[in-house]
Amino acid sequence: MSGADIELKDVRKAYYKDRLEIPVLDGLDLAIRSGEFVVLMGPSGSGKSTLLHLVGGLDSPTGGSVRVGEARLENMNERELTAWRSRHVGFIFQMYHLVPVLTAAQNVELPLLLYRMSSGERRQRVTTALDVVGLSDRMHHRPNQLSGGQEQRVAIARAIVTDPDVILADEPTGDLDARTSEEILNLMNLLNSEFKKTILMVTHDPKAAQHGERIVHLDKGVLHREELTAARAGARA
Amino acid sequence: MALPLSYHWRNLFVRKATTALTVLVIAAVVGTFAWVIGFVAALNRALSVASDPRKIIVLQRGGTSETNSAISPEEFNRLTQLTDVERDPDTGRELISPEMFWQTQLPRVRDGGATRANVAVRGVTEMAFLVHRNVRPQGATISTGLPEVIVGLSAAKQFSGLNIGDTLRLGFAENREFKVVGYFSADGGPMESEIWAYLPLLQSAYGRTGYSAASLRLREGADPAATIAQMAGAAIQLSGQTEGDYWRSQSSMVRIYQGVCYVLIGMMTLAAMFSIANTMFATVAGRTREIAMLRTIGFSGGQVLRGFMLESTLLALLGGALGCAACWAWLQFVGHTKDMFGTSTFTAMAFDIRMTPVIVLISLAMVAVVGVLGAVFPARRAAQTQVIRALREE
Repeated sequence: MSGADIELKDVRKAYYKDRLEIPVLDGLDLAIRSGEFVVLMGPSGSGKSTLLHLVGGLDSPTGGSVRVGEARLENMNERELTAWRSRHVGFIFQMYHLVPVLTAAQNVELPLLLYRMSSGERRQRVTTALDVVGLSDRMHHRPNQLSGGQEQRVAIARAIVTDPDVILADEPTGDLDARTSEEILNLMNLLNSEFKKTILMVTHDPKAAQHGERIVHLDKGVLHREELTAARAGARA
Repeated sequence: MALPLSYHWRNLFVRKATTALTVLVIAAVVGTFAWVIGFVAALNRALSVASDPRKIIVLQRGGTSETNSAISPEEFNRLTQLTDVERDPDTGRELISPEMFWQTQLPRVRDGGATRANVAVRGVTEMAFLVHRNVRPQGATISTGLPEVIVGLSAAKQFSGLNIGDTLRLGFAENREFKVVGYFSADGGPMESEIWAYLPLLQSAYGRTGYSAASLRLREGADPAATIAQMAGAAIQLSGQTEGDYWRSQSSMVRIYQGVCYVLIGMMTLAAMFSIANTMFATVAGRTREIAMLRTIGFSGGQVLRGFMLESTLLALLGGALGCAACWAWLQFVGHTKDMFGTSTFTAMAFDIRMTPVIVLISLAMVAVVGVLGAVFPARRAAQTQVIRALREE
């Protein structure tokens, strides 16, 4: 499966605290092409993670529309969103969120348990995903037997094992050293270039942002500015 | 498809101390539960074999047991007026057995003779074997002229000094020696905890001329209630009960004991449920981000709820298995035979408690239900985890 395009129109999201409305996104418009690698940047509280959650169907907008491929997320209930997520979105978190009691292979297998699939096919898919992230020799290791970088690779394998349209990454290198971060970002570039996955990545790190094609800067819940990364600009030139 | 069983199983051992404590609490509850239902089953088994519908136990008016009943030979002779008593086809005699009931103290086998218990001694004639048809002598039986006894199999297992050839001292001041010549079975019923001697010799040993009670056998199809009513009438003036009613009344103390056990088990079960709930709440609290991750990748709230219920059930079954094993080991250690005193006979009735597969299954089913109930609130909390908030937690 290749990537899906993403379209957000006049998206608003507000939270309420003691009846006080706290706007997080305020009429945001954003379009992402299928197979594009977009980086979201901005100060804390600018709405980056909220935007990621809306695109991933973890949250619903207060107003406006969110479309990912054919799916109009604002019209879906929680049950539909849960089912949709399991088939169309791969998530990568800053803290990996691996299950400590399961092996790398079992962690990667988790999303496949939601599919009607034979154990042989699941095993095949897990092996392929771990092969893509270069960890086929660590299949039977538990998370506490892996380095931070290896844990994040397992998390990436878990995100791609269902062959989703979209990969959403929330500061995937935020907990890693520079060299390991570079490896992870190269891996994400591979997913984008080789497997044509649409990637939306949140980061605070300008160097990490250069791995994307386009950087979208958010501030106070609105699109502040957009820029093409150096690599993309160079390619255009 | 649900989360793999290995996921839940391994998670049980993440918090080893909490899990171990909960398992111990559950094991204590299940071990006690298994013992009590084993005891109840044994009691019911013993009482069911002592429920011959054609057998009537005759006591003096107002008598509640053979211990506090006395029937004179004249009163006994009046029983021949009963119309529905079966007759011996060979002799034509009514099947009415005069019996004397006494008790003697013997050392228990289970504690090496450190304590003694009352054992029922029944003086009988050959008629007793025609009335009490479940009583079957094994080997030699008592002769009519010699001071001999035969011993019920349960009594022989429970008390020392009852081997064949041993001498039992009976009578006032224990001045008469009776030799153990054989054993008898009674299908595991209460009579199997007794010692039988020839009635005239036992009467002589205790200086009595009358009887304690009588047992009689009704004709087939006879109405026991009608015979009991006839017995209570002016012509006979004796009290009768069917054998089942008699032994049920004798075991009422056991029933109270059983009720107390059930109340205790109920309280322990509640404690186990709270213990499970507490453990599961801690588990859920410690795995909030993990739950959020599962929800994020597509597991539904219902799947998470069922997963935690399964985990709780596994925890409960682990404790249940340990409890059953502990109960089995305890029975191996102290022996399977448990004796209880009759309400008014004050003599020991022995029950053979066994950990049968049925008891194990009932115990595990009970604890599985406790596991599910204990997990209801923690599992609901897990299913209702605020995904976004949990993912943001450091």
